[in-house]
Amino acid sequence: MIQTIQLSNHVVLRHCPDDRFKKGALSVQLLRPMCRQEAANNALLVAVLLRGTKDCPDLRSITWRLDELYGAAVSTLVRRIGDVQTVGYYMNFIEDRFALPGDKVLAPTIDFLRQLILEPATVNGAFDPEFVESEKKNLISAIESERNDKRTYAAAQMIRYMCQGDSFAEPRIGRKEDVAAITPQSLYDHYQMILRTSPVEIFYVGSASAQEVADLLRPLADALGTAAENPPAQTIFTPVAEPREFSETLDVNQGKLSMGFTTSINNQHPDFAAMQVFNTVYGGGMTSKLFLNVREKMSLCYYANSGYYGSKGILTVSSGIDEEHYETAKAEILHQLALCVQGKITPEELNSAKQAIITGLRSTPDSPGSLEGFYATAAISGMKLDIPDYIQAVESVTVQDVARCASTVKLHTTFFLKGVNA
Amino acid sequence: MNMTHYPRLDETVCRETLPNGLKVCVVPKKGFARKAAYFVTDYGSIHTSFTLDGVHITTPDGVAHYLEHKMFDMPGRDVNEEFAALGANPNAFTTYDMTAYYFTCTEHFEQCLRLLLEFVSTPYFTQESVEKERGIIAQEILMYADSADSQVFEDLAQNLYAHHPIRVPIAGSVESIQAITPEILEQCHRAFYAPANMMLCVVGDVEPETVVKLCEEVLPRQEQSVGIPDLGEEEKMRCVRPISRRKMDVSMPTFQLGFKCPAGLTGEEFAHWELVAELASEALFGESSSLYMQMYEQGIIDSSFGGGVETVSGTAMITCGGDSDYPEKVCDAIVAHAQHLAKTGIAESEFARMKKSFMGRRVKDLDSFESTCFRLCAYQFENYDFFRFPESFETVKAEELRTFLQENIRLDRCGMAIVEPSEQEEKN
Repeated sequence: MIQTIQLSNHVVLRHCPDDRFKKGALSVQLLRPMCRQEAANNALLVAVLLRGTKDCPDLRSITWRLDELYGAAVSTLVRRIGDVQTVGYYMNFIEDRFALPGDKVLAPTIDFLRQLILEPATVNGAFDPEFVESEKKNLISAIESERNDKRTYAAAQMIRYMCQGDSFAEPRIGRKEDVAAITPQSLYDHYQMILRTSPVEIFYVGSASAQEVADLLRPLADALGTAAENPPAQTIFTPVAEPREFSETLDVNQGKLSMGFTTSINNQHPDFAAMQVFNTVYGGGMTSKLFLNVREKMSLCYYANSGYYGSKGILTVSSGIDEEHYETAKAEILHQLALCVQGKITPEELNSAKQAIITGLRSTPDSPGSLEGFYATAAISGMKLDIPDYIQAVESVTVQDVARCASTVKLHTTFFLKGVNA
Repeated sequence: MNMTHYPRLDETVCRETLPNGLKVCVVPKKGFARKAAYFVTDYGSIHTSFTLDGVHITTPDGVAHYLEHKMFDMPGRDVNEEFAALGANPNAFTTYDMTAYYFTCTEHFEQCLRLLLEFVSTPYFTQESVEKERGIIAQEILMYADSADSQVFEDLAQNLYAHHPIRVPIAGSVESIQAITPEILEQCHRAFYAPANMMLCVVGDVEPETVVKLCEEVLPRQEQSVGIPDLGEEEKMRCVRPISRRKMDVSMPTFQLGFKCPAGLTGEEFAHWELVAELASEALFGESSSLYMQMYEQGIIDSSFGGGVETVSGTAMITCGGDSDYPEKVCDAIVAHAQHLAKTGIAESEFARMKKSFMGRRVKDLDSFESTCFRLCAYQFENYDFFRFPESFETVKAEELRTFLQENIRLDRCGMAIVEPSEQEEKN
C-alpha cells in the first residue's frame, strides 16, 4: 500500500493513500549523523525557522496562516533513530473535503512547508539575531527541564553513563554550552550545509494521489539534497566486561531505578521479532513479569517496565521505588530475567505478549500519526520488516526463541536516583 | 437503535437507553481494524460526600481512584490476563468527576466488551487485596508529589476554591487512603456504578445491535438507585488566595494562572458557554493572539505556555501556564490585555479566522477513537451531544467573547500558583 517515489537522487517520498481519515499528515526529515557537533544546531534550527519566513515574518503571521488552513498543525521533528538524527517537521491538516466549498488545504499547506524550510526570514544574510537569541534561551530551558520529570531524567542519565563514547549517549537536543556558542551566522551556515548534504525522507498519508503529492512537493524536493551523502550507518552498541553502578541524589520523594542491558540482537537480526516478544514478556505492559512481580506481587513500586532499542541492541528497565527497596527490586528484576533465560515462560505469557505486539501492528494503519511514526522511521532505523511480515514473524515465535533472546541480554549499567531525605 | 447522521462530520451515531438506565452509544467506523470501548461512570474524586437511599455518607479522599484500581479484581479470574490473551489493552483513569474503564483491540471485540462489562459491574474487594493496593497507590501519590505539573495545578485549585472538593488531589493523600476499606469501596460501587449513572461508548467497525445485546446479557436488568452527590455550598466568585509559592526540584519556575468563572450550566447552554470561553481565552492568550507573540518575544513565556477552559462539576475556570522566570508579569499582562479587549472587542475578521481554526482542530481530533469516546461520554453527562459542535458553533457571536472577558478575566477572580527551583545556585 505504501508507494516509494524517488523525487530526486536523495529525496524519497513514501506515499500512503488512505481516505478513511479526517486529516492528512506529512513529514519531511533531513537525515543527519547523531553527534555532538550537530545536535544543538539541529534542535535550534527547526525552532528558529518556525519563528518567521519571508512571507510570514513573525510568529503571529505564521499562526494566522495555520489558522487559515483550518488549524493545520506543524511541529518540529528532532528524532533520534539509532545513530541517525532526523531534522524537520510534521504537519497534519484537515482533508480538503471538510473545508468550506472551494477551499483547498493540502496544496497551500505543502507550499507553507516549502516556505518554512527554504525561505526563512533573514537579516544581513543570516538568521534574525533576535529569533536566534530567544530560541537559544528556550532550548537551554528545554535541556534543563529534562530533570523536571524524574522518570525520564533517570532513564536518560543511565543511558549517558552506559553509552559513553557512543552516539546514543549524546543528548538528542544538544548540550547547554554548545547551544550557547551558536551565532546567527554559524546557524545559517549549518542550515545551508544540511539543506545541501542531507538525504531526505518525506512521508504523506491522506486521500491525495501519489502524482498530486509528488507534483506539489516538487519545488521543495528540487532544492534539497543536491549534494547529499549516504546516511550514517547504524551500529550496534558494544558491551563492557563488568557491570557498573552509578547514583545521584535529588530532592525527590520517590527513588528511580534505571538499568541498562546489552544484546547482540538488533532490528536487522533474524531474531528481532522474538526479541520484541521477549521484551514484552519481560517488562512490556500489565501482564509482564516485571509488572506482575515487582509491582503486583511485591508492591515495591508503581511502575516497572522494560524498553528495547532495536537499532542499538539496548534493553532498559525503569522502576520507581523507595530507596529501602533498592536491593530487593534490583534482585527481583534480575531474577525475572533469569527465569526468561531458563525458558520459564507460560503459554499464556507468550501468547499475551505476541497478541499485544500484533494488536499494535494491526492498529498502526488506523491513524495518520501512527502510520507516520512507523513508516517514516522504519527505513531509517534499518528495520526491513513491513507490517504483514512483522506480524507473521511474531506469530511464529516460540518459548525457545524467547529464551535464546533473553540469554543474549547482559547487565551493563545500573543507575539509581535517590531522594535527599531518604 | 436511534440513528443520527452528522453530515458535517461525516459520522453516524447509534444510541439507545436501556431499561436499566444505561446510555449506549456506538460510532460505526467501516474499514478500521481498531476498536475502542469506554465504560464510564459519572463519578469521580470530588464525589466523596453523597446521599444513597436517604442516608448521607462521607467517604475518604481518593476513594474513586482506589476503587478504579480495585475494580480489576474478579473472583477466581485475572482480568488483565484475560484481556491480554485476547490481544486487547485495558486501562482506566479517574478524573475529578468521572471514572473511565476502556480497552482497545483489533480482534475478539465481543469477548473484550463482555469482559469490560463484567469486571466493571462486579464488585469484589477482599481485605487482603485492598491492603496490598495501598502500597502501590501510595507510590503513585508520591510520584505525583514529585511532579511540578501536578503540584502547580493542585495549588491553583486550592488558591481559587474555598471548599469545593476540587481542592483535594484526585488520588487523595497517603494519609487519607489509609482509611479505605472493602466495605467503603462496595458502598461507592453500589452508589455510582449503577447502569443509570453510566455510559458505554464504542467506536469502531462493530455491529451496534451486538453492543446492546451484550449489555442486556451482562448488566443488571432493573434500574437501581444512584447516589446523589453533595458538593457543598456554592462557591463565591472571589478567590481564596491570590498567589502561592512552593519550592521543588525543578530547573526553572513553572506556574498556573486561573480565573474563576460561574458554573452550573448544562446541555446546550453549557456547550455554548464553553465555546465562548474557549474562543475568548484563545483571543486573549492563544498562539495567534497579539499578547502571545508579545510575551513570547519578551521571553516571559516559551512554547510550554498554553491554557484554556477547565470545567469540573460545580467549578469552571480559565487556566493558563507553563515555564517562566516571570510568572507575575504574565499575570499582569493577561489581565491588562483582557481589559483592553473588553473595551475594543474582537474584530470580525479575527473572529472568523479563529472559528475556522477551532473547527478544523475539532474535526481532526475525531480521528482519535479514544478522544471521541471520552468526549461523547463527558458531554453526555452534561446532557449535550458532542457531535453537535458545528451547529453550536454557529450561534457564537464575537460580542459574547468581549462580554466574557470583561466579566471573568479580572484580578479578584484570579489566582496563581508558582513552583520555584529549590536550589538557588542552579539559576546560573
